Amino acid sequence: MYLEIKNLEISFPTPKGKYTAVRNIDLEIKKGEIVSIIGHSGCGKSTIMNAVGGMLTPTKGTVTINGQPVKGPGPDRGIVFQNYSLLPWLTVYENIFQAVDAAVKNKTRDEKKEITEKYIKMVGLSSHREKLPKQMSGGMKQRVAIARAFAINPDMLLLDEPFGALDALTKGDMHIELLKLWNLENRSKTIIMVTHDIEEAIFLSDRIVVMTDGPAATIREIEELHLPRPRNKKEIVSMPEYKIIRERLLSLLMDKVEIDQADFYQAAEVEVG
Amino acid sequence: MMNAQTSTPAIELQSSTSLASRISVKPIFQKLKPSLESAAYTLGGFGILLLGWYLISKVTADALPGPFATLAVFWELIKDPFYDYGPNDKGIALQLISSLGKVFLGFSLGSLVAIPFGILMGANSFCRKLLYPIVQILKPVSPLAWFPIGLAVFQSAGSATIFIIFITSLWSTLINTAFGVSTIPADHKNVAKAFGFSTWRYITKILIPYSLPHIITGLRLSISVAWLVIVAGEMLSGGMGIGFFVWDSWNALSLEKVICGILIIGLVGLLLDKIFTLLEKRFSYSN
Repeated sequence: MYLEIKNLEISFPTPKGKYTAVRNIDLEIKKGEIVSIIGHSGCGKSTIMNAVGGMLTPTKGTVTINGQPVKGPGPDRGIVFQNYSLLPWLTVYENIFQAVDAAVKNKTRDEKKEITEKYIKMVGLSSHREKLPKQMSGGMKQRVAIARAFAINPDMLLLDEPFGALDALTKGDMHIELLKLWNLENRSKTIIMVTHDIEEAIFLSDRIVVMTDGPAATIREIEELHLPRPRNKKEIVSMPEYKIIRERLLSLLMDKVEIDQADFYQAAEVEVG
Repeated sequence: MMNAQTSTPAIELQSSTSLASRISVKPIFQKLKPSLESAAYTLGGFGILLLGWYLISKVTADALPGPFATLAVFWELIKDPFYDYGPNDKGIALQLISSLGKVFLGFSLGSLVAIPFGILMGANSFCRKLLYPIVQILKPVSPLAWFPIGLAVFQSAGSATIFIIFITSLWSTLINTAFGVSTIPADHKNVAKAFGFSTWRYITKILIPYSLPHIITGLRLSISVAWLVIVAGEMLSGGMGIGFFVWDSWNALSLEKVICGILIIGLVGLLLDKIFTLLEKRFSYSN
């Protein structure tokens, strides 16, 4: 198995004592798979991502890639951060080039420049290459962040709520761009994505990992998807499998909300009485 | 009836021409308006100052020289600013250049020490804990107190003056640089981690660009204080410079020259501040 997470637990020391973000996480991911992690806020989705990315060290358990334990961040994993994390004083070109120059080994400077240009073109930002992040919309910034992660040619892409801040239309475009890039690389790249958008997870993923609520969150259920690729948003919504999975995810994620509503009605009755 | 009909187009024509002229004049006027306004306030303020000054000099029967007498002396000073009649009699521009030279030398040396140490303090909590108490104790000390130490070490009043400017220039730059570096957002650090930035790339592409506005603020505060201190320093050291000029003028019982000196010191101080404010704007960024 390409990526193996075994009995992972991550805790943080706080003034009030140990805070366990996630525990008992067991997950295996094949090469080239697209896996989404979905759950409510604070369920440790990002924590798992950061453990895979090497930004956090496991308290217990192991994360291995190709049998090698993850010891820190590395150029084999490209990360797209939740808030784009572009450097505000660098242009589109420089933001990508600096990452390529730092992460890609055994290439000349000219080759690295070529790589940078190629990925700027791939995300359609050639005419904006000299712009600073503050001169661009959220969607454009997100494209730069994605281009930067792809440009270092990682085996795995870690996307932490990559489209969370985008409007619905831009989001739809970005989904297609992501799959296009994935196809261009012969679907060889493994993609792990954190999201709280059910439709997004279904449209993009091969498997969806549903988390329980935090703290001390763990995996509640893993949904396998067999929707044919390439997928088309309009077509898949009418497929029976789409509806079944969507209902299942909704019931897994929304039961909490229903309980809250019941509480609300009870409270109202008491007041009236 | 006929009159009314013929006069109507005339009015329209008139109003349309005035409209056209208004369109072309208005934007220029609107652009100039804030600067014109602030110029008017400046002039008004100085008018009040001059009036007060004039009245005080009248009341004290010219014990304090009035604006006109001072202006005449000022004119004498700037008419031939570069004359050099030996060590104790030099033109005002030469005095000013001497002071500015000492300030820039001391300030540059101070900044060369303060910026690296500030970065060290900001980036490393061990260094911060170690150095911060020292900074806290030494910062409130008047730099003039260092003058005897400068004299003892360098055996020369000129070098001792540069030394106290060096000391003056350290603190604000050090503290602001350390603050800038210690507030680098985790997001930027994560980028460096995730893409495997080397230390050098981290310093040049993240640490310096992020802290630069803070560093420049520190430099601006430092040079303002350095310009304050040089005047007092030169009064102590003697020899040459604008501070020496003020003290020498007092010894020569020319309050007119003293007032001219104050005016020139103020103007140069303002200029230095403006230059660094421009630099601050140039290197600031926003997300």
